[in-house]
Amino acid sequence: MARLEVEGLCKGWDFPVIDELSFAVEEGEFFVIIGPSGIGKTTLLRLIAGLETPDRGRVLTGGRDVTRLPPYRRRVAMTFESYALYPHKTVYDNIASPLRARRESKAVIEQRVTEIAKLLRIDQLLNRRPGEVSGGQKQRTALGRTLVADPEVFLLDEPISHLDAKIRHELRTQFHTLEDLRRVATVYVTHDYAEALSLGDRIGVMGNGGRLVQTGQPHDLFERPANLFVAEHLGQPTINVIPSRLASEDQALVLQAEGGDLSFRVPEPHRARLEARNTAEVTLGLRPQHIRPADELANGIAIDARVDIFEALGSTGIMLAESGGVKLTALTDPERHFAHGESVALSVDDRAFHYFDPASGRNLME
Amino acid sequence: MASLDTTMAQGPAPDRRWRLVRLLFLAFLGLWLLFTLFPFYFMAITAFKSAAETNLTVPTFWPQAWFPSNFAGVFAEPTNFDALVDSFVIATGNTLLALFLGTLAGYAFARFPRQAGGENLAFWILSNRMFPPVAVLVPMFFLFDNTPWGTDSALSLIILYLVFNLPLATWLMMVFFRDAPRELEEAAYLDGWTPFQAFVRVTLPLVLPGMISVAMLCWIFAWNEYLFANLFVGTEVRTYTIVIPTFTHGSQTLWNLQMAFSLIAMIPPVTLFILLRRYMVRGLSLGVVKG
Repeated sequence: MARLEVEGLCKGWDFPVIDELSFAVEEGEFFVIIGPSGIGKTTLLRLIAGLETPDRGRVLTGGRDVTRLPPYRRRVAMTFESYALYPHKTVYDNIASPLRARRESKAVIEQRVTEIAKLLRIDQLLNRRPGEVSGGQKQRTALGRTLVADPEVFLLDEPISHLDAKIRHELRTQFHTLEDLRRVATVYVTHDYAEALSLGDRIGVMGNGGRLVQTGQPHDLFERPANLFVAEHLGQPTINVIPSRLASEDQALVLQAEGGDLSFRVPEPHRARLEARNTAEVTLGLRPQHIRPADELANGIAIDARVDIFEALGSTGIMLAESGGVKLTALTDPERHFAHGESVALSVDDRAFHYFDPASGRNLME
Repeated sequence: MASLDTTMAQGPAPDRRWRLVRLLFLAFLGLWLLFTLFPFYFMAITAFKSAAETNLTVPTFWPQAWFPSNFAGVFAEPTNFDALVDSFVIATGNTLLALFLGTLAGYAFARFPRQAGGENLAFWILSNRMFPPVAVLVPMFFLFDNTPWGTDSALSLIILYLVFNLPLATWLMMVFFRDAPRELEEAAYLDGWTPFQAFVRVTLPLVLPGMISVAMLCWIFAWNEYLFANLFVGTEVRTYTIVIPTFTHGSQTLWNLQMAFSLIAMIPPVTLFILLRRYMVRGLSLGVVKG
């Protein structure tokens, strides 16, 4: 019963921050909104929570229009980026706050708080104040305060972005296993693509102008980005972006990198779409994941390159190389080693290729 | 000291020179302390002197004979004790009122500056404190004379002192509320608390140290006020401040009784200060606790 719908939401101050934004999140669905800082993600959550009033548009939870309801009449729970724990109350009282607001009995409060605290492994900290616990424990307390509320909609604003890597990973796995989150509609805001890909049942990419640029399953967004903005924001290392020009050569269609001596034969399946265009300019995007040293990837398009920087990162190796004056990022096996200036044969898989309109950024294959 | 040695290496005897500066500084502090404490000391010993001893041409700095009976002598006139009670009622009543109104107004200015009239109105309220009160002494008298409770009542001074204490309370509370993170209130709304509940349960506890400091400042002002009290009250109601000059009869001043009474009048504010010091210092020096 707890479907969340956002319809044509608009909010602006001196300029529009959220503009005609619409989406729906099903009960039990984990919807991640990703976008660069300052793009309006937090404003969107505040509109859903009722902390801001939209200029236009509606917010519905469980089919009920709550646009004009104050936050304390909506069944929405939200964690703040700053955690917003009450500094003068203990961890126990912080978590108990939503239950007390609903005038639950003392026994119910104690049972629920203890249960949640155990789940989040902060049960030994219940008598401390927020100032006396670590960042990760503060985050868990804030999470506990929202979980205990038993709401229809969960809003999580960058809940783990400010924690160090190890705790971040631990909490990320915890999000997967929290049953309570599976019973409601969750909107999770982050600027970290790994969090988004890991947690999201669906992902919405928020771009300039306060709209969702693209919404879809994680692998869809990664493999079929609607435009260059989405392609650049999902994926680590970032996609290689090469301004190019189409040319015909020996009956094949060739992409010639601008300002460099590097060209690729366009893979056969992509050819028809590109030939239908009336301009020759194309922005080529190449996923580093699909550019490998030639001995790691057979059947790819071979190019010669020179190693600039090589970083072995444990689970993967990142090679920054240069080919014909064009800089390329490629991935390698982590066990390998490459020296600066070394010649290397790279191989580009067909799947690496993405083509974007240089003016609009639109994906030409979609 | 090691770092001092290296930075002062050029001087002939750096260590000794620094010690001298330190010594001079301590001497200065000592003198300052004496200067500050001497009036209290002289007040205290005068309170125990005989009337004759207080009028010696060469004052004594230690009583020749001790007369603790001076303290009883002060209350030989029973209305003198009533004056302390009146002062207490007026100071406490005024403080509670100033704190209540100042807290609400300060919150409005901090959270809804536009609806509350903006920064300029807030400053105008504070600027009332910059006006020399003597200038309105007489007009105020006639103004209060036309009220049902008149001038010679506790209520008149309780209300009048708001002129001084309410701007201070409003302004300071506004500053404290500005420091209290708004996000905590928003978190409370999402927990299901109404704005008023969020204010009482979350924001008010955060500004409590500030409130206590403000209360202290207001209370001491109202307790010690003389100028308006002297003109307004005196028959039905008397504050302790207007009793103190009554120890002067014609050409003779009963310094010992006057000082004994002053010493007693110091007890309530000093006690309050000691009781609330812990919160007050925090309130005045640190603002409120940060989220």
